[in-house]
Amino acid sequence: MDGAFFDGRTSRPHQVDVAISEGALLFEAGGTRHAWPLEGLRVEVLGDRVRLSCDAGADGRLTLSRADWRAVLGRHGRRVEARGRRREGRVVLSLAAVGLTMAAIVFVGLPAASGPLARHTPPDLERQIGDSFDAQLGLGMKTCSGGEGQAALARFGHQLQARTGTPFDIRVRAVRAPFANAMALPGGRILVTDKLIAFTRTPDELSAVIAHEVAHVERRHVMQAMWRSLGAGLLLDLVVGGGSGAGQQAVLLAGSASDLRYSRRAEAEADARGMELLQAEGLSSQGMAPFFRRVAAGDGEKAASPLRELVSSHPDSLRRAQVSAAHARPGAAAFDTQAWASIRAACPPARAPH
Amino acid sequence: MFNSDNPTPEGVETLTFAQKVRLGSFLGLSVKNGLLNLVTLTLYRFWGRTEVRRRLWQAIYLNDEPFEYTGRGGELFRGFLYAMLLVGLPLLVVVAGAQFLGPKFAALIIFPIYLFLFVLFGFARFSAFRYLASRTLWRGVRFQLKGSRIRYGFSYLGYLLLSVITLGWFWPAAERRLAGPLWDGLRFGDRRFRFSLDAARKIPIYRAFIPAALVFGVLYFAVMGVIFAIRFAAQKAQPAAPDGAMIVLIYAMLLPLSVLGVLIFAPYQAARLRSVVAGISLEDARFRLEVKWWGMAMLELGNLLLLIISLGLLFPVVEARTARFLISRLKSTGTADLASAVQAPRGPGTGEGLADAFGAINL
Ligand SMILES: [Zn+2]
Repeated sequence: MDGAFFDGRTSRPHQVDVAISEGALLFEAGGTRHAWPLEGLRVEVLGDRVRLSCDAGADGRLTLSRADWRAVLGRHGRRVEARGRRREGRVVLSLAAVGLTMAAIVFVGLPAASGPLARHTPPDLERQIGDSFDAQLGLGMKTCSGGEGQAALARFGHQLQARTGTPFDIRVRAVRAPFANAMALPGGRILVTDKLIAFTRTPDELSAVIAHEVAHVERRHVMQAMWRSLGAGLLLDLVVGGGSGAGQQAVLLAGSASDLRYSRRAEAEADARGMELLQAEGLSSQGMAPFFRRVAAGDGEKAASPLRELVSSHPDSLRRAQVSAAHARPGAAAFDTQAWASIRAACPPARAPH
Repeated sequence: MFNSDNPTPEGVETLTFAQKVRLGSFLGLSVKNGLLNLVTLTLYRFWGRTEVRRRLWQAIYLNDEPFEYTGRGGELFRGFLYAMLLVGLPLLVVVAGAQFLGPKFAALIIFPIYLFLFVLFGFARFSAFRYLASRTLWRGVRFQLKGSRIRYGFSYLGYLLLSVITLGWFWPAAERRLAGPLWDGLRFGDRRFRFSLDAARKIPIYRAFIPAALVFGVLYFAVMGVIFAIRFAAQKAQPAAPDGAMIVLIYAMLLPLSVLGVLIFAPYQAARLRSVVAGISLEDARFRLEVKWWGMAMLELGNLLLLIISLGLLFPVVEARTARFLISRLKSTGTADLASAVQAPRGPGTGEGLADAFGAINL
């Protein structure tokens, strides 16, 4: 049968006469005899012809009419193509295994390991990270000027610290920010925003929020979250690259959703431990429930839409209010009237609205 | 099949391009790739992309002989891993370390890294083309791309800075110049392609660029103005207006803006492609791309729509449409000795790792 042959050394075309013998294609081109074993032939179907290549032929390419190819090889030709499909199946299976392993590490392994990892992080390193965080946050959130109020907050932080056995010096301070929130940084710093102080109605509410943050510090939740997101971020980035495709974005989104699940668990833990700390000091733990109830009702804040709750890391305020109410006990106020007044005045109104 | 008994001097031929791209085949492939990407956390994408190219290359014919793509998914995968380990990870460490050392230090170190990233982008682009060339076979002979990737990276940065300084004025010229090394360094076996800026300049691009840029600029600021006006009005009427509505509004405005953008810039895109192709030659063969702005606009609008509707799933179809569009408009006059090219070396063992990370690959 007729064939067209390129020998892979130059682009010169050769018309060849192809014979079949002992399981090989035999042909001669430019004075060289070629024998290509049928076993191991690679086949490309191109409309009414096929292009053949094989390891023995290196870059050489032999083109036959599809009819010739079918007629001569019969069932053999189909087996050659099936081999390619098996090979792809193996690739997909191993990739799926790699993907599954990565997913297991990100969604199960890392969260499980983040607790021990956080506990074994040297406190000095955590302090350093916290300092760096604080310096960066400080660019946007200026420390409030009211010295007396700041002192009252700091005193309360140290009071709870004595109950915890944390290696960190807990330093609570009020900062100016465009939102109501309190946050624990790595290494024991706790920031309370002016909007949050304005939002709380009683000393009990504010002390409950601060106790919650102290519990985060004690349990090293921030370090845990950092390990989790560092590991997940690294691994998922390794999988998807910097890619911007829809599939790649979906994988990253799944990663952050998983992180959210674990941060909810940490919130519940901090709620409970925070109340414990207050009760151990003989202080009232009744501020938590009304605080969360008002957050849930959207008092003073934008209404908590379903979307908001999904993306917020302090979700489900109503449920948290109920749990807190069930465990609340009366006690002394954390701040006396004078301290409370100085805290309320710690962040005098800014000169101009932001 | 071919003309070995051609009466012209030995091996000398004119070049005739043809394509037999069947979009249906790429539709099925899109679905398959999408499913396998899902199962493998998108790791299959390297093999998926390889299969798209294999099918595309073999549907493109030059003088009745189809091209062949010999790249492998594993090569792309390994290239990606190397890029992550050798570039991604060190960059991450440096950036994280800089933040650790304080905000001022971070700013100091982030800026040069930013510049370096643009060099890297150019480097990645050249590498990707080099890999593609080395995995493209015709008549059993490989293509190769010669030239310095580092130099290309720095010219990319230079042209980009020039464009920024000139408020975008230089960008069309930059795009044309950046095509130069990619074509001037290209060889079919040992047969050298040439890129002549003078030949490319015979087709004007600024004539199409200036009105497009002006119209789009006005349109852009008008839309932004409308968005801010609505936002301002909404804030006055109802201070606690939900952000969601605002986001919907912005997206609702962006879609028509991008459609209009495609339409407005289509004449420029068509002119740019015509200009670059006019600059290419292979021995005595010169090339011509018969792309009109209307065809270009329809192609790009269709692609945009397909990608939006399918959330990117139909990217293989978009590539196939684009290849079909371009190849069926690619013409050549003059002759080249296509029968005596001597085989090129194997080329790089892995490819495109960096380009993948930058999302900088088209085709
Ligand atoms: Zn919390």
